[in-house]
Amino acid sequence: MDTSRPKRILIGKVGLDGHDRGAKFIVQALRNAGYEVIYTGIRRTPEQIVRAAVDEDVDAIGLSLLSGAHNELFPRVAELLQEEDAENIVLFAGGTIPDKDIPHIESLGFRKVFTPGVPLAEILSAIEGELAGRSDGGGAIV
Amino acid sequence: MDALVDKIRGGERRSLARAMSLVDQSGADAEALKDALRRETGDVPWWGFTGPPGVGKSTLIDALLGMLRERGRRVGVVAVDPTSPLSDGALLGDRVRMMQHAVDLDVFIRSLATHGREGGLSDATLHCARLLELAQYDPVLIESVGVGQNEVDIASVADICVVMLGPGYGDEIQLIKAGLLEVADIIVVNKCDTPEANRLLAEVREQGKRQNVESRKSKVESPKSKVESRKSKVESPKSKVQTSIARGGSHGLASEAPPTEIIGIEAKSGKGVDALLDKLLELDRTARGTEQRQRYRHRRILGEIKRGVMLACEQNLDRALTAPAAKELLAKLERGELSLDAIVAQLGATPARHN
Repeated sequence: MDTSRPKRILIGKVGLDGHDRGAKFIVQALRNAGYEVIYTGIRRTPEQIVRAAVDEDVDAIGLSLLSGAHNELFPRVAELLQEEDAENIVLFAGGTIPDKDIPHIESLGFRKVFTPGVPLAEILSAIEGELAGRSDGGGAIV
Repeated sequence: MDALVDKIRGGERRSLARAMSLVDQSGADAEALKDALRRETGDVPWWGFTGPPGVGKSTLIDALLGMLRERGRRVGVVAVDPTSPLSDGALLGDRVRMMQHAVDLDVFIRSLATHGREGGLSDATLHCARLLELAQYDPVLIESVGVGQNEVDIASVADICVVMLGPGYGDEIQLIKAGLLEVADIIVVNKCDTPEANRLLAEVREQGKRQNVESRKSKVESPKSKVESRKSKVESPKSKVQTSIARGGSHGLASEAPPTEIIGIEAKSGKGVDALLDKLLELDRTARGTEQRQRYRHRRILGEIKRGVMLACEQNLDRALTAPAAKELLAKLERGELSLDAIVAQLGATPARHN
């Protein structure tokens, strides 16, 4: 039997943004690439996202946002992760995010921001690269 | 390990979450924790929910979560979704329907993938349910993957088994074939706002009546009859050992069990769910008896032992079938020196030695 489990990623949509085609596309692509993907659905609060991520002990969170509220909602998610002492969870973001906002989002701890037009292969290899070498979830607790 | 167990019992959420990842793996630490969990838990009834994909299991659990919270219960949920056979990945989407409870600290929801195990549950399901129990969640709800036929694992794990049906999954012949009805304590027909669901509800009630009559008859005529009480969960002598272990086997509840309850609901609006909850709580109370607890605890562990042995046998057999000696057997079969039955007996004897 396998001694390791597949990496787990939570994909969520925060805020008042009902467009989830992109998020669902990524969910399916990640599943096909061998990840266990927890999908939260649309219109979630940062609190819901972080609570779910911690309880599910995910390796990464991918936030999708197309409404323009990223400068309000993304910092909140990063802040809550800190409060939960869960900064080991890797953050990614995707959506219609203007180039000028990206440095700020990255400074919050987001490892990559994927904007429209980025090829899927690039997204997958970036995520794989960021998660490679991370030890499996529970190993460290005993 | 004791320190970890204490932390989880003390309500440290992060430890609980990480322990759930640990028991989803193998290795010395994982096995030590699993053994500790077997010793430390077994007092809380587990409610299992199964039924075809899309029938409304997550939606129902969401509704029940709200009502159980109103009654002050802390509720744990383990939701299982299938692993892709092609990629080992999985889409765990049950949470989508339960997000309103995501920030309630008295609710803990964990999504698991089947990791390719047949039967609708992963090995980690049991361990995660035990962890929730250790963390003082009561009751523990288990959502099995949408089952098809012959997937009745949930019955060996849950103390109370709810089978959900809905319109559009076939007629009553399908119900008889599926074998799911035999393992149900409660049959729920969802989407009863539609005429199709109400027709299905009538069919299920009809079939339930027939089955109850049949089991009464068979009990009178011959106590050893193939169709013992449906609730004995021990079917024909040929039935899978799994089922007999599943529902109690020789030390099962057998004939004193009440007939299966059949309830029509509309999970989305919550209609009928209060009646369902009343029934569940009634079964929950019954399941708390000392004798019952002992029996359920043993049944789960026997199920684990059985799955472990079966896995080992399967691996032995796979090895035997790929070994050079297997080619020799095939050659003998083709030359007419050995029958297929003889080969089966020869290979079957190897794993049997371990029993």
